[in-house]
Amino acid sequence: MLDLRNLTKRFGKGDSAVTALHEVSFSITEGEFFTLLGPSGCGKTTLLRLIAGFEPPTSGALVLDGRDIAHTPPNRRPVNTVFQNYALFPHLTVAENVGFALGAQGRPKVEIAETVTRMLDLVQLSHLAQRKSGELSGGQQQRVALARALAPKPRILLLDEPLSALDMKLRKEMQVELKRLQQETGLTFIFVTHDQEEALTMSDRIAVMGGGRIQQIASPRELYDQPANRFVAGFIGETNFLAATCAAGRLILPQAATTLPVAHADGPVTLMVRPEHVVLAGAQPDALTLTAQVDRLVYFGTDTHVHLHLADGCTLVARVQNGLRGGLPCRQGETIPVSLPGDALHLLPQEAG
Amino acid sequence: MDAQAQEIRSDTLRRWGLALPAVTIITLFSILPLVVVVIYSFLAPGDFGGVRWQLSVEGWFSVLFERDIFDDTVTLSDAHLTILGRSVALSLATTVITLILGVPTAWFIATRPARQRAFWLFLITIPFWTNLLVRTIAVQEMIRSEGVFNNLFLSVGLIDAPIQMMFTNFAVLVGMAYVFLPLMVLPVYAAIEKFDFRLAEASYDLYASRLYCLRKVILPLVRPGIIAGSILVFVPSLGAYVTPRIMGGGKSMMLGNLIEMQFGQGRNWPLGAALSLTLTALVLVALVWYTRLTAGKRRG
Ligand SMILES: Nc1ncnc2c1ncn2[C@@H]1O[C@H](COP(=O)(O)OP(=O)(O)OP(=O)(O)O)[C@@H](O)[C@H]1O
Ligand SMILES: [Mg+2]
Repeated sequence: MLDLRNLTKRFGKGDSAVTALHEVSFSITEGEFFTLLGPSGCGKTTLLRLIAGFEPPTSGALVLDGRDIAHTPPNRRPVNTVFQNYALFPHLTVAENVGFALGAQGRPKVEIAETVTRMLDLVQLSHLAQRKSGELSGGQQQRVALARALAPKPRILLLDEPLSALDMKLRKEMQVELKRLQQETGLTFIFVTHDQEEALTMSDRIAVMGGGRIQQIASPRELYDQPANRFVAGFIGETNFLAATCAAGRLILPQAATTLPVAHADGPVTLMVRPEHVVLAGAQPDALTLTAQVDRLVYFGTDTHVHLHLADGCTLVARVQNGLRGGLPCRQGETIPVSLPGDALHLLPQEAG
Repeated sequence: MDAQAQEIRSDTLRRWGLALPAVTIITLFSILPLVVVVIYSFLAPGDFGGVRWQLSVEGWFSVLFERDIFDDTVTLSDAHLTILGRSVALSLATTVITLILGVPTAWFIATRPARQRAFWLFLITIPFWTNLLVRTIAVQEMIRSEGVFNNLFLSVGLIDAPIQMMFTNFAVLVGMAYVFLPLMVLPVYAAIEKFDFRLAEASYDLYASRLYCLRKVILPLVRPGIIAGSILVFVPSLGAYVTPRIMGGGKSMMLGNLIEMQFGQGRNWPLGAALSLTLTALVLVALVWYTRLTAGKRRG
């Protein structure tokens, strides 16, 4: 339904030009909860502003329902935005804010009133309809912004870090609420966040962005289990990276006593293993076995993080679930055997730097 | 208990002590002169200026009416009514002109990059720091018969004879609009500068046209600045003295000049006092209207 084709955006001219987006291409299907995830400054907002129409792309096409809208002004695109700072109109009441778009479209008063009532019901704010928008809490403003953007029934709803200004608890509530809204309305959402947990729990698909490029687009599960590169692996969840080599069909980790069969071209690779898959025991079948010294134990409630270092100084983190009886898996300073199970290992091409 | 009462009393005393200088100055320089003016307005004029200590409402009477010297018939004073009407009309016109010129100017400055704004504001305020007399005479130099405009128009053959612009309502208006323009630009600029342009963006996103955005989002939010600017221009325009004196001469007088005349050649201090109070009343009306407008907005 929405196709981005080689979208590039440059700010400024000549030497001081900044390329915020490099040849971004992907498609979004109807009814999808699509998330743009990436660190600060990677171009998420820029991409969203391009889709909303606030900025024209430097090159590339933006095709919505078969029509290139790259240069259509925002007030003629069936796309609405929930802004990061909400941008509610402070001089209008909650109801007037929600009805703003319909008023601008010149819809009849009855229809506006009816839609506003329905939208306020949807976000559970009917009792505040006559409040000025400045007299609301952060969470309530968030809901008004949502209702205001949903009222004109856009084809796509864009949300730019809509939850980042809320405290932890409210944030969790709103995540559930947003997901419910999206499922109830069947609307297509493009959601921007730099919080990987938020992205993993809410999205159908996630596009990980880095340095103005799309690094990988995949479902949350796939992204976590099969990251395409080190950037994605490091950004989603916690990860251990170890330098290894493939030679003659075997995976060789210099610090390990054992090797594993591998179907990978010969050469240096980066080996990735999630902390929860590191086993603090030796002599496991189909595993790389090493010895490591325990640096530190960090208690996290449900689990404990064990910080280890190998003989050559490489560090490794293991996550061990805390049992009922609460005994420690090991002691600080101790030297213990560690296994990396073969099916938990993920190989990434080695990158410069 | 007693100690506490004592403490409260000494605290009250200290507060009064601290307020004393301000209270003294306000009484001495603001309230007292006003009382003098009110008293004078109810006395009879002295023969060579000043007042005779004799109760009289003649001063107030003469604000609007005049008595025929021969048969004592009372008629509305045409001269005074004209001047009163002209004062209000010219002040309103000045306000409108400065609005038309000032709002786009303020908009222009407020939408410049932050570094350039100071420069533009400086340009706007330079005349402000220049002596009023000098500024007014500069305007006169532009529009008088042998002035810059007439010479220019003559030399390009646009006109055959110089246009007589001085000593007309037009001249007064040009002078006042020029003199008071900064008073409009500054508060409007302050309001626009505070305006969050992301709101305009949000309105475009919600299908608003430029005009709809201006009407429904921008104007309501910069309105306080526009109202403040209008008051700041209207009130001093009403009492303007130097500008109408130079640009309008004896032909296009305003209230300020009429008042001055009563204390000078006219030698009618009670009338002058009554006229001054009339002017004050007009200003008060404008201010009440202003507070209504702004307070009404906050409530509604
Ligand atoms: N108007 C602009 N002029 C010049 N450079 C810009 C402009 N807008 C964005 N950039 C640059 O483009 C890059 C991407 O910015 P963008 O705001 O899209 O990042 P983001 O991913 O939204 O970051 P954040 O998570 O901090 O909001 C940044 O390097 C930024 O400095
Ligand atoms: Mg951003």
